[in-house]
Amino acid sequence: MSDNILEIKDLVVHYETDDGCVNAVNGLSFSIGRKKTLGLVGETGAGKTTTALSILNLVPDPPGKIKSGSILLDGRDVLQMTDKELEEMRGNDVAMIFQDPMTALNPVMTVGDQIAESIELHQHVSSKEAFEKAKEMLKMVGIAESRAYDYPHQFSGGMRQRVVIAIALTCKPKLLLSDEPTTALDVTIQAQVLELMKELIRSQQMSMLLITHDLGVVAETCDDVAVMYAGKIVEIGTADEVFNHTLHPYTEGLFNSLPNLRERGEELIPIKGLMPDPMNLPEGCAFAPRCPYATEACEKTQPELTLMGGTHCVACLAYRDAQFSLRRNHNG
Amino acid sequence: MIPTILLTSLLIFWAMDLTGGDPVQTILPENATVEQQEALRESMGLNRPFFIRYFDYMLGIVTGDMGTSYVTKLDVFDTFMHRLPMTLALGGTALLISVIISIPLGIWTALNQNTWKDTLGMVLALFGVSMPNFWLGLMLMLLFSLQLHWLPSGGSGGIQYLVLPAMTVGLGLAALITRTTRSAMLDVIRQDYITTAKAKGASHHRVIYTHALRNAMIPIVTAVGMQFSLVMTGSALAETVFSWPGIGLLIVNSISKRDTPMVTGSIILCCILMALINLLTDIIYAYCDPRIKAQYSSKG
Amino acid sequence: MENKMENSHEITSAELKQAKGRSLAQETWRRMLKNKGAVIGMIFMILLIIVALLAEFIYNYDTDIVAQSASSSFSAPSAAHIFGTDQFGRDIFARVLYGARYSLLIGCGSVAFGLLVGLLLGSLAGFYGGFIDNLVMRANDILYAIPNILIAVVIVSLLGTTPLSLLLALSISAASSFARIARAAVMQIRGQEYIESAYAMGLPTWKVILRHIIPNCLSPIIVQVTLAIGSNIIAASSLSFLGVGVAPPMPEWGAMLSDSRQYIRSAPWMCIFPGLAIVVTVLALNLMGDGLRDALDPKLKK
Repeated sequence: MSDNILEIKDLVVHYETDDGCVNAVNGLSFSIGRKKTLGLVGETGAGKTTTALSILNLVPDPPGKIKSGSILLDGRDVLQMTDKELEEMRGNDVAMIFQDPMTALNPVMTVGDQIAESIELHQHVSSKEAFEKAKEMLKMVGIAESRAYDYPHQFSGGMRQRVVIAIALTCKPKLLLSDEPTTALDVTIQAQVLELMKELIRSQQMSMLLITHDLGVVAETCDDVAVMYAGKIVEIGTADEVFNHTLHPYTEGLFNSLPNLRERGEELIPIKGLMPDPMNLPEGCAFAPRCPYATEACEKTQPELTLMGGTHCVACLAYRDAQFSLRRNHNG
Repeated sequence: MIPTILLTSLLIFWAMDLTGGDPVQTILPENATVEQQEALRESMGLNRPFFIRYFDYMLGIVTGDMGTSYVTKLDVFDTFMHRLPMTLALGGTALLISVIISIPLGIWTALNQNTWKDTLGMVLALFGVSMPNFWLGLMLMLLFSLQLHWLPSGGSGGIQYLVLPAMTVGLGLAALITRTTRSAMLDVIRQDYITTAKAKGASHHRVIYTHALRNAMIPIVTAVGMQFSLVMTGSALAETVFSWPGIGLLIVNSISKRDTPMVTGSIILCCILMALINLLTDIIYAYCDPRIKAQYSSKG
Repeated sequence: MENKMENSHEITSAELKQAKGRSLAQETWRRMLKNKGAVIGMIFMILLIIVALLAEFIYNYDTDIVAQSASSSFSAPSAAHIFGTDQFGRDIFARVLYGARYSLLIGCGSVAFGLLVGLLLGSLAGFYGGFIDNLVMRANDILYAIPNILIAVVIVSLLGTTPLSLLLALSISAASSFARIARAAVMQIRGQEYIESAYAMGLPTWKVILRHIIPNCLSPIIVQVTLAIGSNIIAASSLSFLGVGVAPPMPEWGAMLSDSRQYIRSAPWMCIFPGLAIVVTVLALNLMGDGLRDALDPKLKK
């Protein structure tokens, strides 16, 4: 049995629309170890949600198509599973928390029924028992048991997200996929929900893929970090490696664009330019047009992820020069 | 609802009063003298002010007395009530036929969007809503009655007489509901909570019926409710084509015979019927959508 | 490296300009043309309008449409009479073509009239709310409570069975549905933030209405216009069929069907063709209406 609960290799996902082919994910590879949390960081449009949906084989088809690659969940390839196997796996071995709690719940079913449904699908218990278990789950996420009879519209955003978490964790999955779980919430509620998630993951000994564009959240909750750009991983390693010994110019740009509390009044430093149009990706490195270190070679060749020490990998041609290092690392 | 009914009946009573013609002329023989006419008018209360006559008339509804027909000399209210069950049977059967056809068809086309199945279903539905239903009735009669001799071409007396009129109304309604169902399902299956349901491991069947359809029912019931007057109209036309003795045929015949009390009474009673059906629709709608149910229970 | 940055910056803004070049109307038209059904519908309607206009010149009403000829009565469809003849020997094809005038006139006229009245009242109700809103909504409820046909019955009883009274009756129900749509659209837009911004910029109320509110209401209204014409044509022919609309010998399609009912056994073609004309016309209008709806809706259901 491998150490990794999840292993994705060379995943390629396209969306074939009338206006053209959107190359959402272009040769993605990463792994998540058991009981570990991986933060997947990137801007909107980088392909993060598509990656998460692929793990459940839920990419909407049409127009989405998983072109190639393998996704090993606990050793079994998700992309080769039959519909029945997928239905057994979803919610049971892997669960997902979605971004917008306001729309993630069925408006015409009670909250208790929606949690109980998860139980009834995977465990052989009567519906009464399932509902009782649902009430316990509500308690676990900090909601009064009596509210199991209420409908989603009677809850606030933060509470709905807790319900979504309850649904996800009911069958004690081995891997939790969280797609920007706190983005749609108020800042104060964000902290509460994150704390709750951390606690539950720790006590249930689950692995988690946390998708976010918020570096602060990653720093607080994740063991490992993967940085995604234009459908590929450009840097991956432990949180310490990526934050303190940054390798990729894009990651550097992300850190630089964060406002610095100590140097208030200074101008913000955004990364110049825009992410490339996924229907029209450049031949070489996707980041080259915006990269301050780019050379001619970068525009022609796509860099591969290479191991740079420890568990830290980066996809950047600059490192062919052994002396190269980012400006950020010069200043320490 | 009550004020609407009152205002509506007032308008109709006033309009028919203007056009109605003189009942005295129809009742008395041609050679009646002016004094006799005047005496009858007085005794029938026709000289009283408009609002008093209206008030009296409305009171009559409650007691079941809305005047007598010029033509048949029978009580208007009784005649209407006698014919009502026939129209309800027709409307009910038509609704049943249409729902059995349209909801599965609507779901099927929504799930197979942009394939030949979708196009086929949509083309059929488009034809259905573009067809005047009395013409559909005539064509059905032509085919099933006159050519194939499978079904009678009119009248009443058994289930076989109900088939063609019910199909006439039902098919048109089915076309409409199919389009609405397809549209509602397409909207619903794009929602996030459907992805949540799939991510839980719910089977395709469960996702469509337990999750999607239950939510799609809300706009479908709304749309059908709004179109219910069309069902009534359609029934009237079908009754005319197939001589089905319901209230639609009653009104049409009364109009052509200038039987004002019958027309007035029937129209007003029809409006009351429509109002009751609208109320029923609202109740069903509230049952489907817990958000609305909550509003009602908090008020009540 | 700085050069490279500027170059990529230029390309982006040029592309943006090009994309914005198409206005909403052009964009909608382009999408309409992609829809084959809608295009067929439009072509048919244009042809029908031409036929209706020319019919007055091609056929003489007295000789071709109403003149009776016992000898050629009840002829089945043939080369001489494409749709056959009726009980009076009149050429059905000519009558059907001529009848297009009534359907188009009553259909478009009632919708146009209803649009004017309904739009005005609905927008006022939606915009100002309060007393006006209550009044309009109450009137609407009453009209809603009475089925279309019964309203027509009452009006036609008052004014007689002429095309004009039919037009008036159908305008009322059209006005009711447009008022409903306009009110809902105005209320929805009125609450949007960009309206607040317009006010915040100092725009006077009438400018806000003209420049922001009305253009955004147009989509549902345009779609409803095409669909309403279709449903009013059906309603008009239904009423004529029942004897409450246009009466024979005028070759209105519904009236023709009412007439030919009794001959369905012996001369079925008399019942088939006028009805077919209604179906094809309304089909064309529905195709256009559906095409417009899909073209105007930014989130196309694809």
